[in-house]
Amino acid sequence: MDSKGFRLNRAIIYIFLLAMSVVSIFPFYIMVIMSTHLNEELFTGIKLLPGNYLLQNFHTILSTNFLLYYKNSIIVTLSSTIGIVVISTITGFAFAKMRFKGRSVLFYFILGTIMVPSQVGLVGFIIEMKWFGINNTFIPLIVPAMASAFGVFWMKQYISSSVPDELLEAANMDGCGVMRTLISVVVPVIKPALITLFLLFFLWMWNDYLTPLVILNDQKLYTIPLSISIIGQLHRTDYAARILCLTLATIPILTLFASGSKYLIKGMISGSIKG
Amino acid sequence: MKHKYAPYLLIAPFFIIYSVFQLFPILFSFVVSFTNWTVVGSRDFVGLANYSRLISDHLFFKSVGNTLLVMVIAIPLEVIMGLFMAVFLKDFANRSRSTLQLINFLPYITTPVAMGMLFQLMFDYNNGTVNQILSAIGIIDQPIYWLGNTLTARTVVVLLIFWRTYGYMMVMFLTGLSTIPNELYEAAKVDGASWFTSFTKITVPLLRPIMTFVVTMSIIGGWKLFDEARLLFSGGSLPSEGPNNSILTIVMNYYNTSFSRFEFGYGSAMGYGLFAIIFAFSLISMKIMNRGEES
Repeated sequence: MDSKGFRLNRAIIYIFLLAMSVVSIFPFYIMVIMSTHLNEELFTGIKLLPGNYLLQNFHTILSTNFLLYYKNSIIVTLSSTIGIVVISTITGFAFAKMRFKGRSVLFYFILGTIMVPSQVGLVGFIIEMKWFGINNTFIPLIVPAMASAFGVFWMKQYISSSVPDELLEAANMDGCGVMRTLISVVVPVIKPALITLFLLFFLWMWNDYLTPLVILNDQKLYTIPLSISIIGQLHRTDYAARILCLTLATIPILTLFASGSKYLIKGMISGSIKG
Repeated sequence: MKHKYAPYLLIAPFFIIYSVFQLFPILFSFVVSFTNWTVVGSRDFVGLANYSRLISDHLFFKSVGNTLLVMVIAIPLEVIMGLFMAVFLKDFANRSRSTLQLINFLPYITTPVAMGMLFQLMFDYNNGTVNQILSAIGIIDQPIYWLGNTLTARTVVVLLIFWRTYGYMMVMFLTGLSTIPNELYEAAKVDGASWFTSFTKITVPLLRPIMTFVVTMSIIGGWKLFDEARLLFSGGSLPSEGPNNSILTIVMNYYNTSFSRFEFGYGSAMGYGLFAIIFAFSLISMKIMNRGEES
């Protein structure tokens, strides 16, 4: 590939790579730029440079419930994600390192559930939540998600391959109980897996749209993806404020991605088996 | 380990939550699918009525067709673009590889809802960036009514899905490429093979397993298309299914039936219809995958 004939091809291919990168990033760029302009300016030609109405647009947003939606999203996403990571870890640990009756049957059962699309049970889920009287609360968004077959599968694989049995035996000989062993021996070893799982589920939960859409009627409980659609309706005329909402909604995701892209991509690759 | 009940205590939270909040709703929905359950009014068993209605429901088959159409066009585009991006990044970009990889992966992680709405604005008839740019460089005289026509509306959906997903394909292929030993390429070079020959004779065949995997997963995920397509049309003057129901997807149809019209019985039957479709396609692609391994 170093011969001179390749040099032109190389340049063309490089330009192609750059062009596709521009295509990837262009909508983000437009989004950020548009959120710094006065609404009326947006209709007077293409805007490629930032304007100076960012603060005014912020004021418009603050007059809506956007901050509340932000808080709701953070509460729902953080608590469900932490729950998923904890439950996946203890369940995965039991399947990876402990012998008990029914182990393989139960594990195959978990694997099988990955195949079932979650949408199938949505009607039954809504009716059940009404029976429990917890529709229109955060509970149906937080608790059900904690039982993730994918999370258990992933943790089981990781713990099997990276936690040596000798380490557990040594802990056992020192008189550590199961919980002590988990917290002070296993957790330090599997830290990378915990980070990956956390990032992955944070992303999925933050972006979740369908479940909150059917569960929540009270606008005060709306999460960010839901609020984007109603802000779209309230501010039909104020594009600029609406776009600023979109920008703010993507910031946590981009920050997480920038700080943990290596873990996240690794998880994504194995995560593609999630239904 | 010494405690006899410890493993059961550790796995109990998972199985309790799973049974109560996931397994029960799935089984219960199956029961509901044999009733005429609505929010108010009767909830009588109607036998297979919902299922016979489903197989004669034009709108259901239209939504199946729409979803399939988006997949049939978008998935090959994603795979081809992802493959070329991965190969080019590996062979032609050294120092900038990781930066370019990050940039092209970015669309995949952003909130689908936000991107649906952003594309709605970008492809707006009057003020959309796309029409502004196209007329500024003189390609069009009249603005294109992107979201108002069947063909162009579907094009925008395909573009949106393609734009979101090809970076993910690229990352998957880059992972696959890293497992191909360099000696193979060097040997081919010694034998006088061109870059393109190496690409078709080494890269593509060796990436086949990962390609099958990625395609299978895209098909399973593709059947559940909802967020992006719904937000592309929400809040505007247009119906959220697009012109002439042209982008009504299966899950969108399921949502409208179950949670806008509250026909729980028929909605559940539709949910199981979706399940059957996904199951059948998974079996077919697994068959193909196995056949690929045998040969």
